[in-house]
Amino acid sequence: MESLFLQQVLNGLIVGSVYSLIAIGLTMIFGVMRISNFAHGDFSMLGAYFAIYFVVLLSGWAGWVGSLVVAAVGVGLIGFFVERFLFRPLLTRWTDIDIIMLSIGLFILLENGARLFFGAAPKMIPDPFQSKTVNLLLFSTSEIRLICLLFSCIAIFLLQLFLTKTKTGVAIRATSQNRNAAALMGINISYIYSLTFVVGSALAGLGGVLYGTIFAVFPMMGAMPTLKAFAVTILGGMGNIRGAIFGGFILGVAETLGGNYVSMQYKNAIGFVIIILVLLIIPQGLFGGVEKK
Amino acid sequence: MNRGPFKLPLIIVGILIVFAFPLIIRDRYFQHLLVLSGIFILLTSSWNLLAGYSGLLNLGHAAFFGIGGYSSALFALKLNLSPWIGLPLGGTAASIFGILLGIPSFRLSGPYLAITTIGFCEILRLVAMNWVSLTRGSLGLYGIPPLTPFRFSTNFSIQFVSEQNAYYVILIFVFLTLILLNRLIHSEFGIGLESIREDELGSQSIGIDTSRYKLTVFMISAFLAGFAGSFYAHYVRFISPEMMALGETFGILTMVMVGGLGTLLGPVVGAVLLTFLSEGLRFLEDFVKIDIRFVIYGGLLIATILFMRNGIVGLFKKVAKPSESNGR
Repeated sequence: MESLFLQQVLNGLIVGSVYSLIAIGLTMIFGVMRISNFAHGDFSMLGAYFAIYFVVLLSGWAGWVGSLVVAAVGVGLIGFFVERFLFRPLLTRWTDIDIIMLSIGLFILLENGARLFFGAAPKMIPDPFQSKTVNLLLFSTSEIRLICLLFSCIAIFLLQLFLTKTKTGVAIRATSQNRNAAALMGINISYIYSLTFVVGSALAGLGGVLYGTIFAVFPMMGAMPTLKAFAVTILGGMGNIRGAIFGGFILGVAETLGGNYVSMQYKNAIGFVIIILVLLIIPQGLFGGVEKK
Repeated sequence: MNRGPFKLPLIIVGILIVFAFPLIIRDRYFQHLLVLSGIFILLTSSWNLLAGYSGLLNLGHAAFFGIGGYSSALFALKLNLSPWIGLPLGGTAASIFGILLGIPSFRLSGPYLAITTIGFCEILRLVAMNWVSLTRGSLGLYGIPPLTPFRFSTNFSIQFVSEQNAYYVILIFVFLTLILLNRLIHSEFGIGLESIREDELGSQSIGIDTSRYKLTVFMISAFLAGFAGSFYAHYVRFISPEMMALGETFGILTMVMVGGLGTLLGPVVGAVLLTFLSEGLRFLEDFVKIDIRFVIYGGLLIATILFMRNGIVGLFKKVAKPSESNGR
């Protein structure tokens, strides 16, 4: 009984770490640019497909790790163009509806475009460990899942380091807090916007590889990470990176425990119930969000 | 839409043409598309009332469509209720859920409301998927009775199974809806809604009860969408939880954006255009072996926002006199 509980918590943490990774990108983009990107999960989907096509080029380990890099760089590049040519022109007429509609258009385009190019059948990212399992003291899990947890924690840690210790990182956070004041301090807002969107997209791509390793990869997979990331973001406070990190783990654990002890069918509803409850009771989220523009 | 009165002769000619459609083109598939367009007009117009006129970004509109469809279908299947009673009942059921969604809109706006509404819709879809004893889950409900015929005497009755007669029924509902919406948006209530969209705090300060307005508009919109859902259920006679999928809402909003957000005729133009366009593009499947239509939906939506912010109707308004932008 106890070990089952701990087992579920571990599974929740593994899934949750991936949610965190994807949600951080979403929350960064929202915090800095006030863009609610409903196509965020589709960047993850693209990342997962990049990985599928890259991973076969190198054998085993190198292929899997290499695919993480390829996905991050590839999706980051796509993010750069999306920001520059789609969202940037809307900067002057900045209404919520325009932005959300644009991202929904992107969502429809990417999802169906992917079906066109990659086919509708689900694919798997090959597991370099041949699904070996490890037995820790109280629980067992497959090695690849532990590696996923490890990699997303490393990525989150590096990102935190970047945001707190480098000048550019501090500039991003400053822009998120107050755009005008940041501009007055000599921060190049245009550059920060580009960078934030690229980093956010790259994180989504990276998260997509891990998500695709744990689950399956198919063109329609993007909606789930998008909605989960929104749930996480709202739970932690929109625009709050620390909130997204904790929110991801909380949602992951809540889902696996809820799926196990409450109802497997309604596992995916937990995120939405969280969204509605948090917004009705504590709209600013657990850790406080950025102020509304 | 222009504020002045309609140009009467133009309207009459338009109505005559619209009525003559199924008589001129006898192809049943074409008539089927006309009926679908009519259902979509109800959906797009009701969504437009929320997003376009009131600034309430509802991304869970498919939930109302689904609730209308499921409640009407279940009334007919389990209680043998006449579909004609089921239609308003489906709308009423949806509008009760409209209240549920209206309450969060008191405090939330923009992306927050959008995400809440998605969550609401997804939860309902999961319920429809998993409450197997009632809804048969993802298998869907089939064998839903069609609209029962009107019997005037033993040898004269009007059937509603054919596409043509279904078209006339939905056409009447579409006209009623458009007349109702036209009056609504030009009434004090409609102007109040627009003022809430432009400046919520300002509206409160001049004495508009924003909560009551939002609740009412959610109920009206949900009723129309639920009604469309009921009609759809009795027309297609099969419904599944996919009715409440995210893509369904996204299709509706694409139609509205392409047609023209916040205009009376925009949703009409968008619904008819995209319904027929997506069928007209089916020939492309022969070349690319896959459904390319939704790629075009996405592309159209993006292009509209980037280059044609006010949609087709907005474009017409710019180049022609407003009254000439009459879509059909």
